[in-house]
Parts: sequence; C-alpha cells; structure tokens
Amino acid sequence: MAASNSSKLFRVGRSILGGLCNNSIGSIRSSSEMVQVDFLSQQQRTFIQMRTSLKVVDNSGAKKVMCIQALKGRKGARLGDKVVVSVKEAHSGGKVKKGEVHYGVVVRAAMQRGRCDGSEVKFDDNAVVLINKQGEPIGTRVFGPVPHELRKKKHLKILSLAEHIV
Amino acid sequence: MRLEKCWFCSSTVYPGHGIQYVRNDAKVFRFCRSKCHKNFKMKRNPRKVKWTKAYRRLNGKDMTQDATFEFERKRNRPERYDRSVTENTLKAIKKIDKVRVDREARHHAQRMKGKKAQVLREATKELEQSIHMVKAPAALQEDSSLTLPKIKVKVSQPTEDNHMLE
Repeated sequence: MAASNSSKLFRVGRSILGGLCNNSIGSIRSSSEMVQVDFLSQQQRTFIQMRTSLKVVDNSGAKKVMCIQALKGRKGARLGDKVVVSVKEAHSGGKVKKGEVHYGVVVRAAMQRGRCDGSEVKFDDNAVVLINKQGEPIGTRVFGPVPHELRKKKHLKILSLAEHIV
Repeated sequence: MRLEKCWFCSSTVYPGHGIQYVRNDAKVFRFCRSKCHKNFKMKRNPRKVKWTKAYRRLNGKDMTQDATFEFERKRNRPERYDRSVTENTLKAIKKIDKVRVDREARHHAQRMKGKKAQVLREATKELEQSIHMVKAPAALQEDSSLTLPKIKVKVSQPTEDNHMLE
C-alpha cells in the first residue's frame, strides 16, 4: 500500500517535473525501454486535495465546488471521505449560494479505491454530495452511481437517496 | 462471492483480482488484468482483438451455442443453503466442465480437418527437395528407392540399404 502510494507520488512528481526537465526524463525512459511515447499518457489519478474542483451531484443548488480542506488523510481525500468545500458555481435560487463554505462527502473519485475483497473500483469523475456539520445531506436527491463504501462511513441517508449503488 | 467475466477478454475474474470501472451512466466494466484495462482505455473493440473470446466466438474459432453454456447463466435469486445441493453442484461442475472441454476439442478438430491431402502433398515435395540434407546425393544415385519409399523400383542390390542405415 505504502509502496504503491509512493510510486504513485513519484509518478505524479514526475509529471510535474516533466514540464520542467522534459529532456532528461524522456531520454531516461527511451534508454531503459524502447517504448514509443504514448500519446494517451495514462493519467495517474490521485487524491482530492486543496484546490481540487469537484462536481456536485445533488439538488442542493451548487454545481461546481472547490475543495479547501480534506478532513482526515495527510495526502488528501479519497472515495467516501469528508471534505470542506467552497461553492464556486451555483444554480440561481438554490439552497446554497456561491461563495459559501460547506462540508461534503466524496461519492465518486477517479482514483481507484481498494475494496476489502482485494479488487479496486474507480469512477469517471470526482463528485461530491454537500452535507451539513452533522452529516445530513443538504439536498434531497442524489444523481449517478454511488459506491457502497458509504455504508461503512455511515452516510446511510445518501445511500437511501441514491439511484444506483455500485 | 461471485465470479465475474472480464468485459474485454471474457475470462473469469476471481475475487481479489482486477479493476472495476464505473461509468457515470452506472455501467460497470470489470477487467481481469491491466492488459484488458489498458486496451479498453485505448478504446479498442474486443470483437476485433484477436486473442479475446469475443473475437473467437464471432469468427467461428470457438463454440458458440452449446447446452453446457446454459449452466453458467447468471442467476440473481439467492438459493437457500442446502448441503446436499451444494455437494451435487460441485460434482456437476466437474462433469459439465469435462463435457464442455470435450466438445470444444471436437469443435477444434472439426475446424482443423480437411487438410490431409494438402499435408501429404507438402510432405512428398519436401522429401523430394530436401532429401539431400539427410542422405548424401551420391548414395541416392545408387539406390533411387530412398526418395519415395512407396514406389517400387527394381534394384540390383537390395541388401545394401540395410548396411548404410546401420
């Protein structure tokens, strides 16, 4: 687990450094393995941290939200964790306005999360459901698929509102 | 516990293996290993990738319809636990597998047959052309029956053949 995390970080760091010193890393890669530079550049998905913009999948009124703090987790939030978010974009006349600070639960994360049977799940995007301090969702509906990791984290209300549990 | 099928190659995914990717339309793609997952990310069509079951079934390389496949259909109703039923099921699995493997072998043999005449022609041609790698041309001249053993040629010294072979 630690090894995979460190390797992920290494690769993340590499992608950041790649912009700075592209040549050296490119030459190292080409010397070690005669592989063509993949134009797909398999993305290395990581945690949800400060400044990560997330999609809101309930009907609380917000559309886009930015994470300002990942509660619990040194490197960031993962699937099922709580985050503190600031609303960046909102529907007019919703319960939530732009610029407000709320709590949220990550219901979909592009980074894979290990399940207890050893397999891994990952989603297409990063999505949140806004909740209040007590953990109750602000909205009344949740859209899209939702993982059953939320059951262990005691977000049962969200699970009951969900249309599809994975 | 459930044994799933890999979306790309149709092999079984055992618990603890593979990655599940959930798309936002709630469709779940299961992959048995990163090879299949990477091919999926490249947007390859499994029906065109030669080593997948989808391609083989489509192009008649493997059996498509058989009674043994009916046993593996997905059942969503859970069965009440019954020890004798479980024992019988385990025995039946073994037998069904054996039957299926036999039928697949037969299908394969059926597919591969019809080549006897061609194989024979190729063999005689090779014998004519490459016999010089086995026997020296000088020896052949003496005893021309060595090239095509089936053709009866009247030789003056038939016993010399045995001496040379020894």
